[in-house]
Amino acid sequence: MTEDIRDILDIDRGSGPQVSKEDILGTNKKKVSLPSGNRQNRRPEGMAREVYALLYNDKKDVPPVIETETGPTYKLQKARLGMRRVRPWIWAPFINPAREDGVAFFHWRRVADEGKEYPFAKFNKKIEIPSYTDIEYKEHLESETWSREETDRLFDMCQRFDLRFIVIQGRWNLEEYENAVKRSTEDLKDRYYSVCNTLTKVIRGGNINEAKMFDAEHETRRKQQLERLFSRTPKQIEEEQMLLQELRKIEARKRDRDRKTQDLQKLISAVDKQNDSRKSLKIDKKTPHHRKRIAVPVRPTRVDPNNFEATTIKFPDIKNSGVSTRSQRMKIPANVSQKKVKNVEQALQSLKIKLNPIPTEEVCQNYNDLRNEIVLLNELKAACSSSDFELQTLKHQYETLNPDGALKIEPVLMEEIASLSVNEDENDEETVIKIKQENKEQLETRDVTSTPRSVSKSVLDMI
Amino acid sequence: MANDLTRVKGTSIVKPIIYGNTAKYFGQKRHEDGHTHKWSVYVRPYVNEDIGTWVKKVHFKLHDSYESPTRVVQKPPFEVSETGWGEFELVIKIFFQDTSERPVTLYHVLKLYSNGPDSELNEKPVLSEFYEEIIFQDPSTYMKYVLNDTLSKNPPIAEQNLHYETIKKTTVDKLKKSRKRVQEHTIMYKERLKKLREAINKYKDEICAMQSQCSSSALR
Repeated sequence: MTEDIRDILDIDRGSGPQVSKEDILGTNKKKVSLPSGNRQNRRPEGMAREVYALLYNDKKDVPPVIETETGPTYKLQKARLGMRRVRPWIWAPFINPAREDGVAFFHWRRVADEGKEYPFAKFNKKIEIPSYTDIEYKEHLESETWSREETDRLFDMCQRFDLRFIVIQGRWNLEEYENAVKRSTEDLKDRYYSVCNTLTKVIRGGNINEAKMFDAEHETRRKQQLERLFSRTPKQIEEEQMLLQELRKIEARKRDRDRKTQDLQKLISAVDKQNDSRKSLKIDKKTPHHRKRIAVPVRPTRVDPNNFEATTIKFPDIKNSGVSTRSQRMKIPANVSQKKVKNVEQALQSLKIKLNPIPTEEVCQNYNDLRNEIVLLNELKAACSSSDFELQTLKHQYETLNPDGALKIEPVLMEEIASLSVNEDENDEETVIKIKQENKEQLETRDVTSTPRSVSKSVLDMI
Repeated sequence: MANDLTRVKGTSIVKPIIYGNTAKYFGQKRHEDGHTHKWSVYVRPYVNEDIGTWVKKVHFKLHDSYESPTRVVQKPPFEVSETGWGEFELVIKIFFQDTSERPVTLYHVLKLYSNGPDSELNEKPVLSEFYEEIIFQDPSTYMKYVLNDTLSKNPPIAEQNLHYETIKKTTVDKLKKSRKRVQEHTIMYKERLKKLREAINKYKDEICAMQSQCSSSALR
């Protein structure tokens, strides 16, 4: 401390030893060694050795109170205290080499830096502007749009303003140069760089790669665009935002539609698959072991992304050793949604199928397949009704957009598909005939001009 | 033989059985306890065989209001006869000769009244029974032997069960017919869906075209 005050007052330091960091922090202090004998903890009588080993016994001395780690850390927030003597400053003159008049100014400087160059002198960069002789100009640099006088003036100004073309352009059309043609910044740059390039290429024999690229036309366009972007009116900005939003909406709709068609495609392919497996079952029936083949129905592998398994009911297929009852295999598992179960039951009711048929192997197989087929049918119906609805909305939209024109909807789509329900006592033939008749009646009785909306509604009701 | 409990892999033996109850009205309410019906619940083989060769015992769990509600029948006929006035759900547990095989549990609602409890009482006996198949997947050698004992002789279907054969046949026929019908509908709906999609896409394209026309003219 006294040293600091001496320094400040410019008094010579005492002849005593220089204080160091260690002296202040006291890290070099001789360790006060406590008499170790009575600190040596001994294992108390009756204490198990293992328990004693758990006690802290690293060095047998108290943990440090101040931080022991003094090395540099990631975040060093405290100021570094220099222990050296302060370095004195002096009021010294200096010469800026950027100035040509050699005027000396004064500033504060460290004594140690005396005699060194002015530190900001290195920022005094000079640009080398090429020059040309009369002959060179006549041979290579003649231009239709630029006169010699004008080119000279350009190079002169480039020299004066260090290639600050904006400044050059600003001064180009001053009235004092009456013969000046109005030039844009791009014109000036273009002329300058083309002259430079010609000089390096032809006369100085330089590398072509060193040529400076300047595309005046591109620059002009770029600036025009920026200009236009900058000078948009708020209304225009609003419109642009609106259009961008529209675009996003359109893209979202497209994604939605793609997803939907994909789903529907899955459904359709599931139907096709069902038909295929039915055909294969028919073939199988001719072979003696057809039962076993039915027991393991042809199902797509789990890896197949187009499979329909997610929506079908997976009936318990007990393969484990042990005893079970047949009726267990006809139970709908608990993870199937109540809605789906209800829909299936409704369809079974309309088909006049009892909910728990006599549990034989063949009945079990057919009953389970039937229910899965109903699930598929229900999915299709739902898809149809939503498509019906979509079609109606689109039709509406179309008609408001274009009241005169009309797109034809296939008449088949206006028709209703007969319901599943059957009467109990009918045999197959009769049922088919009856349904056909019903269909016909419905078609005849329906108002010819009936809107498809009502049809779609009735389809919805069916589902 | 009785000790060979290793499972015969790949074997599956099916044993059809009949379970259910009969009931008969007394004709009047019994004075002492208010009981109105005599009923008996039973488990019977479907075919003419000695069910005792493979069934060890059957537990009939009656309603808790009965004295000692769990009735154990050790040998055929597996049947419990009681009197009562109410219907309840019976739990029937069938134990097998191979005791390492888990018992099979069946649930049966005791039926006393032919058309629900409110219907008029008459002295016509009431029958409520069900067909069931017990599947032995990979039975032990012992169990397989016991099961095949009657099977090998191929016994005929018990006479009182013959009507189940007709039910089986008609049920299968009906299911197949229904499946055909559902499949036909599925195809119809598929075609309809395809056409609907086509129509929708047509409309969408038209609307898109018109909209772009409109918007481009509006911009101008």
